[in-house]
Amino acid sequence: MKLIKWVVCVVIVVWHGNSPVAQAGFKKVKSTTLFNGETIQEYLFDNGLKLLVVPRHQAAIATYQMWFNVGSIHEKLDPKLKKTGLAHLFEHMMFRGTEKHPDGKFDELVARMGGEGQNATTSYYRTNYFESVPASQLGKLLELESDRMRNLKLDAGLIEKEKGAVVGEYRRHMDNPTGVAFDELMRLSYEKLPYRYTILGTEAEIKGFSLEEAKYFYQTFYAPNNATIIIVGDVFVDKLLELVDDHYGKMKRQEIPKTVMPEEPHQKKERRLSIDHPQATSETLLIGYKIPDVNSPTQLPLSLLSAHLSTGMESRLRKLLVDSGVAVNVAASVDNQPDVFEIFVQLVEGKKSEQALAMIDRELKNIAMKGITDPDLLRALNQEKLSTYGGIVKNETLARFMGEYLMLSGNYLRGFEILEGYPKVSPKDVQAVAKEFLTIQNRTVIMIRPGKKHG
Amino acid sequence: MVKKILLVGFLVISVAGFSQVPSGLSMLFEEDPTLLITRIKVVIRGGSLVDPAGKSGVASMMSELMLRGTKTKKRTAFQKSVESLGAQFTTGATHDMISFDGAVVKENTSALLALMQEAIREPAFDAKEFANLKKETLAEISHLKNQNYRLGGLVVRKAIFAGTPLEFPTIGTLETVKKITLKDIQSAYHEHFQRNRFIFAVATSVPKAEMEKELKVFWEGFPVKPVTDEANYEPKSPSANTLILIHKPKTSTGAILMAQPGIVAQDPDRYALSIGNFSFGGEPLVSRLFRIVRSELGYTYSIFSTYGTTGGLSNQKGIYAIGATPSMEFTAKTLFKTLELWNHYEASGLETDELRLARESLVNSYPFEFDAAEKRLGLRLSSLVYDVPILTPIQYEKTINEVGRKEIKKAVLSHHGSKPWVIAVVADKDQFAKLLDEEQKNIPEAKRLKISKVISPDDVIK
Repeated sequence: MKLIKWVVCVVIVVWHGNSPVAQAGFKKVKSTTLFNGETIQEYLFDNGLKLLVVPRHQAAIATYQMWFNVGSIHEKLDPKLKKTGLAHLFEHMMFRGTEKHPDGKFDELVARMGGEGQNATTSYYRTNYFESVPASQLGKLLELESDRMRNLKLDAGLIEKEKGAVVGEYRRHMDNPTGVAFDELMRLSYEKLPYRYTILGTEAEIKGFSLEEAKYFYQTFYAPNNATIIIVGDVFVDKLLELVDDHYGKMKRQEIPKTVMPEEPHQKKERRLSIDHPQATSETLLIGYKIPDVNSPTQLPLSLLSAHLSTGMESRLRKLLVDSGVAVNVAASVDNQPDVFEIFVQLVEGKKSEQALAMIDRELKNIAMKGITDPDLLRALNQEKLSTYGGIVKNETLARFMGEYLMLSGNYLRGFEILEGYPKVSPKDVQAVAKEFLTIQNRTVIMIRPGKKHG
Repeated sequence: MVKKILLVGFLVISVAGFSQVPSGLSMLFEEDPTLLITRIKVVIRGGSLVDPAGKSGVASMMSELMLRGTKTKKRTAFQKSVESLGAQFTTGATHDMISFDGAVVKENTSALLALMQEAIREPAFDAKEFANLKKETLAEISHLKNQNYRLGGLVVRKAIFAGTPLEFPTIGTLETVKKITLKDIQSAYHEHFQRNRFIFAVATSVPKAEMEKELKVFWEGFPVKPVTDEANYEPKSPSANTLILIHKPKTSTGAILMAQPGIVAQDPDRYALSIGNFSFGGEPLVSRLFRIVRSELGYTYSIFSTYGTTGGLSNQKGIYAIGATPSMEFTAKTLFKTLELWNHYEASGLETDELRLARESLVNSYPFEFDAAEKRLGLRLSSLVYDVPILTPIQYEKTINEVGRKEIKKAVLSHHGSKPWVIAVVADKDQFAKLLDEEQKNIPEAKRLKISKVISPDDVIK
């Protein structure tokens, strides 16, 4: 077997922070050459808007993504809102039209351009909007996107109509035992942090949002200094800068309320909850261990530990639980914001969560005591590399990779730094994080069982 | 302007190739120097359609078992060898093919090829692994009860393809899988793995000449046998709209799946029907179904229609389906509104503006069909297997623009004209029955849509 030769991932970073750039309205911050020779160029506009560009000329298409630094935690902590669900409802409203392009027109025009993958998502910490278009249509797309960022027509009637679709989404989520398991994990894990409130809000909150609240949310958080545009594809940077400046350059910087996260009391003992769900036909087990944030060095061994536990047929928990006929599937993952190492198990009908939990506990104890082998680490590391390489070849996935890390850590290169750092992780590092974080007192356990209606 | 975009889109940086090597093996190449990952697909024509009677699931289990050990490597040793390379090796069966899919960081392409070769040429078919796989498969089938659309899909498939091998899902059912023996798997292997059934497709930055060299010795030793033509199974429509309710207690959302016979990949009306479907329900956000049932009425979060319900167009007529997940109180309303919109579409076809939008969108988005090596490979594979041409952007634009409102209306009438639907609804039976009555209170009893059968999720998968 050939060992994978690791290349230096993020090699050349040219800083332009202090150099005056002769363009009006923006400056180049830095340019970064990636391991595959591609460059990420970062620009900052005078109004605070950030632009990241990766030119790729293999095909005449381009991906546009807009990332707003606002999600459900911001609305919950905002003194004028104090609830969740509006960030998500608002994401829907962004497709409902402006003075210039009334309801339905945005979607129609993007479709006419040949737009692909048009959608939006909301999380605890950010909201994003995205689509890909033929590169020649990018100017028209920027006109449309900038129009809805500033001139959205907020109308009480349209909000009421959209609430119907959002309530439908909420109920579909609540009918899904897995969705309920994740909501309950967050609710039980956190006493103070707003992760304990669902992104979708409650049905009452969704139905209760007013036009005034929607206007306040829009005018406060959808500001250029709270936004980042990411473009990957067949673009020429000079031309693109002109376009972005034309469409977004005149937007005014706004004061964004500072979100002060409450202090979460240290968890000292296990929290556990068992719920009956009428749609569950088998049990679901979800375990969440609290971990440090994405910028911590522990992120690397924890990510490799998750790959060791559940990526591939030879992963440790798959062999333990699926091969033995206890589970249909198992997944371990590192989640950030909230920072939780999760283990999710879908049990075989008739099998009990307690049995799976005992098996997992034995295995984790074993890792904490004896560690993992070099070949195990190599397998995990190469699986992570395959997964990242497989993703970033696509325009939209590369843009998402940068955007997600930017929103999580403030550093869009963080994902590449993690990839670059993996070869320096030793089996002892993996053992150390297992020992420190995957402990019984540091976890919350949710068991969903077939039964009566939840809630 | 449109033409210019498309031309540039088509001229991507890649070298495409096709060879028919002396062994009879078909090889498709997409060579792209920018790729970090090599993707290898080995396709064997013939899938679950040739599963022995009463034992559907054999092709699926056989291919999965081939990944669980070879004559010289136990499952663990084999899988560790694959995964340590930075590779994944997976398999899947459809009704007409079995495929083995490898993905590997480019440096280790040769090593993965060797392991794929070993799995395909020298599977262990170990009895213990077979027993474990059978248990896993049964658990996986049971787990389908949690997926409402899948349940609906199984019900409509069974109704439309009753009495043919297509009535069963590729994975099989609880009853059919229980009957499968290791001997069935071994016999299926000898039946399927003939040299002239192989197609090899690869997207890679490794030069084509190097790959060909390795592949030429890859498949030696497999027999060449005459390939019999795949039988065609005609889907059937019921004599009237037939509503089957899959009872799940206390649901707050319902799932609706309405189905009719679909079309084959080579159908001359495929472009007319795809333009029509784009506007009716195929294109999210701008289709009639989305605009009216979701955006205007707020009944449902998702609603769509598709000709690809059974996994894309193939040599078999698949199923045309409309799906929705309305809030429970809107389940019956969504069903009747969808039927009303369908009847209008069938009777009147598209408006001029809708046709313009569909044409423009389909033509402008065509570059996305081949913007990545993997997609181009997929297109070429379908073209080879299903004998459908890959149109250049100019040909595609011409084809799409030649389809007018009359052609669409004619195609819709000829394929669907007044055909009844098989409708599967997953919902709480009492709540749904009440809603159904309310919606039809002004309709004479004899003309009402009635629940023809109430079944449980267990009935669906048994």
